[in-house]
Amino acid sequence: MSTDLDILKDVSTEEYKYGFTTNIEMDFAPKGLNEDTIRFISAKKNEPDWLLEWRLKAFRHFEKMEWPTWQNFEMPKMDLQGISYYAAPRKKAKLNSLDEVDPELLATFEKLGIPLTEQKMLAGVAVDAVFDSVSVVTTFKGKLKEMGVIFCSFGEAVQEYPDLVKKYLGTVVPHTDNIFAALNAAVFSDGSFVYIPKGVRCPMELSTYFRINAENTGQFERTLIVADDDSYVSYLEGCTAPMRDENQLHAAVVELITLENAEIKYSTVQNWYPGDKDGVGGIYNFVTKRGICKGVNSKISWTQVETGSAITWKYPSVILRGDNSTGEFYSVALTKNKQIADTGTKMYHIGKNTRSRIISKGISAGHGQNSYRGLVQVGSGADNARNFTQCDSLLIGDECGAHTFPYIESKNSSAMVEHEATTSKIGEDQIFYLNQRGIDTEKAVALIVNGYAKEVLNQLPMEFAVEAQKLLAISLEGSVG
Amino acid sequence: MENRITQINSSLYDQCIADYEVRSSLFAAEAPEVGAARAKAIGHFKQLGFPSTKVEDWKYTNLVPVLKENFELEQDEDILSVKDAVIAKSKIDLLDCYHIVLVNGKYRADLSDAVNVEGVYLSSITDAAARPAFKQHFGRYIDLEKFHFAAANTALFRNGLFIEVKRNTVVEKPLHLIHITTADAPTYFQPRQLFVLGTSASISIIESYGTDTNGAPVFINHVAEIVVQENAQMQHFYIQAGDQHARYVHHTEVYQQANSLYNNYKASFPGTSLWRNNLNVALDGENVESHLYGLYLAGGQQIVDNHTIVDHRKPHCNSNELYKGVMKDDSAGVFNGKIFVRKDAQKTNAFQQNNNMILGKKAVVDSKPQLEIFADDVKCSHGSTMGQFNPDALFYLKSRGIGEEKARALLIHAFAYDVTEKIPIPEVQSHINALIEQGLK
Repeated sequence: MSTDLDILKDVSTEEYKYGFTTNIEMDFAPKGLNEDTIRFISAKKNEPDWLLEWRLKAFRHFEKMEWPTWQNFEMPKMDLQGISYYAAPRKKAKLNSLDEVDPELLATFEKLGIPLTEQKMLAGVAVDAVFDSVSVVTTFKGKLKEMGVIFCSFGEAVQEYPDLVKKYLGTVVPHTDNIFAALNAAVFSDGSFVYIPKGVRCPMELSTYFRINAENTGQFERTLIVADDDSYVSYLEGCTAPMRDENQLHAAVVELITLENAEIKYSTVQNWYPGDKDGVGGIYNFVTKRGICKGVNSKISWTQVETGSAITWKYPSVILRGDNSTGEFYSVALTKNKQIADTGTKMYHIGKNTRSRIISKGISAGHGQNSYRGLVQVGSGADNARNFTQCDSLLIGDECGAHTFPYIESKNSSAMVEHEATTSKIGEDQIFYLNQRGIDTEKAVALIVNGYAKEVLNQLPMEFAVEAQKLLAISLEGSVG
Repeated sequence: MENRITQINSSLYDQCIADYEVRSSLFAAEAPEVGAARAKAIGHFKQLGFPSTKVEDWKYTNLVPVLKENFELEQDEDILSVKDAVIAKSKIDLLDCYHIVLVNGKYRADLSDAVNVEGVYLSSITDAAARPAFKQHFGRYIDLEKFHFAAANTALFRNGLFIEVKRNTVVEKPLHLIHITTADAPTYFQPRQLFVLGTSASISIIESYGTDTNGAPVFINHVAEIVVQENAQMQHFYIQAGDQHARYVHHTEVYQQANSLYNNYKASFPGTSLWRNNLNVALDGENVESHLYGLYLAGGQQIVDNHTIVDHRKPHCNSNELYKGVMKDDSAGVFNGKIFVRKDAQKTNAFQQNNNMILGKKAVVDSKPQLEIFADDVKCSHGSTMGQFNPDALFYLKSRGIGEEKARALLIHAFAYDVTEKIPIPEVQSHINALIEQGLK
């Protein structure tokens, strides 16, 4: 177990990772992607041989793969050789005080109601706030440890719980899954690891928000959550404030595993930098997220609020293998300016009496393009499988687009599958009604959109829901009138 | 052949390419519009080939077993005799209509009723070559870069039918086209059609399909182009019943101008081992209305694959699509409905629904309703369901003394009723109801 001091040391070196001081410069891997890079990363992280082998295997597979072409947007050109894979290049130097921060960004923080210390942290101002948070981390860690819950960085998990990691790593998202998963498996820098032991109900929401070393963890993070029999955990990830970043690839992998009667609730509020009004810059958020309900009566629930990134491309999925297992997917995706979202879910019904529920709300404004792509697959053994899917799209402005590509496949005659989708704009009478009561059009739209997204926002833990609501309102600013 | 992975290797492909070379001198004698279309199409077909399941639109329908059957290309034939019984089987009781018989795609005046209506012109495609409406519209509307079979048909079709309904002509009696395919050996046919409805014209066309092959399999790649000009109205019925020796890939391309109406009613029944229908409707004018109704009752090892595209290009149009399927035995059903609403097509209303009842233990259904919307002031929705008999409904009927089998039939009729009730010609409606009855046995 790491002591407070270790964590402090950890964090301070983490800080250096993105630093500008000379003595740490050697921590940067040379630009480029090859086996040496992978060996370098692995060595830096002091990884066991099996993990290096695993990475190399993934890399060799990656080299054989081709870029996908089926997506509903033009694939941006990405120079994978131009990236440094150990320390993500951050052109912007750390700022010394809030005065140097973009006032527009500050105004956004203000609206989000983020405390000052956190504002500084998020804007990349090097302050002591880091240490405040560390103490938060450690208090929580102590409490979790008491209950046997493991919640640590991936690197730490590899060192301290290699058996658990080895047992589950890559079992839900194998490196052969897709090109980004292969890339991630080869070069992942860090991430989170959670293990909830049998019969434990995790007493608090676990969140990467508090984990400073996760704040700026490279573009290739990896999350692995295992909920053992009869356990429960709610996990939050995300950056709830804008990050100013280069046009960067963010190719994370998230794997969830629930055993008998276990439940994982995974919530994301994603607000990476979406690029400017003309679509310059912004994050390419290409993430592979998948969970498997291995045990009977288990449940996995994904909730996502996606308002950021230049391109969001992910399909958090659930493999319903255990009998009576349940998968859920709740999503709000908002695109504006030149943003693109191609997101949705996949529900694989394999076990008997499996159920899934998909609620997807897309909002397109400006030149935004929003696609829902989903798969509901009922295998021949999945007797009495049940699915309900609803995906609605809201269009604001006549330059945007909303698209729906649901795949529904049934090989079982006892399956009940329902899918419905609607597309419409905000009713003029609704806006008129609110205008009449003294609410200006912009606020009225925010109100209506929030109402529209309510069904999904309600799934988020309370603090997150409040922020997500504000985020939606802020994101919509300027897209009306 | 550039991309092997998206194509199926087959001798039929090689035959098609060779056939084009052999017949190219004959093509020179055709109307220049046809020759140009053929030349363009063969280029696309060379690229496309026959699609494998790696092609998104063919993901669920595997043609490998079909293409393994060693089909030979159709050849020019003399006038073939056809058994009266085969034609009679397709006829609709009590329906007052003009029967038009086509044998292997060839228009047979000797077997057909004469259509003595002023303003209606009906002939083989060869005879239509000089007509302005033919030259203006032939081969204009299908995107040959996307449709493998339409490209092959355009490049190589031999026989076809052309119908022109002139301006302001209202044809009172429906036309009933009976397509008969006859062959002694495994044969691949590529018949073609072009219907042009002039401004304010109106017609109902019913099409049925029969085979007479002595057990030899036939593969029919049928392409129809339909132009519905301003204010014109067309009611179009496909009654797809046939025997298990036939495999159909059937492409219908509809192009609609302002204020026009096109309604398509399609019903397919157990028998024919493969039905692949592509129905594309382009709404290229304001105030256009289109309704697409489909009913598929599949049994045995049958594959019924319906692909539709509704392309809203102009504002103020309405489209409505309802496809309902009942899958028995080991049958496979595929539905893919695309709705496009282009940027200018404001005030569009577009609805699409696909419901499936899975009865067979091994029946498979793949449904993919799809919306792609680029305009904001629209109302669009789609829905798709898969389910079974409602046990409560069955119990209700049984508790009132109706036997299990009868109760099930009743529920299937009720399920199909949403489609069948839309059929505006009562004789056609009862014909289809009878076919449902028969198909359920």
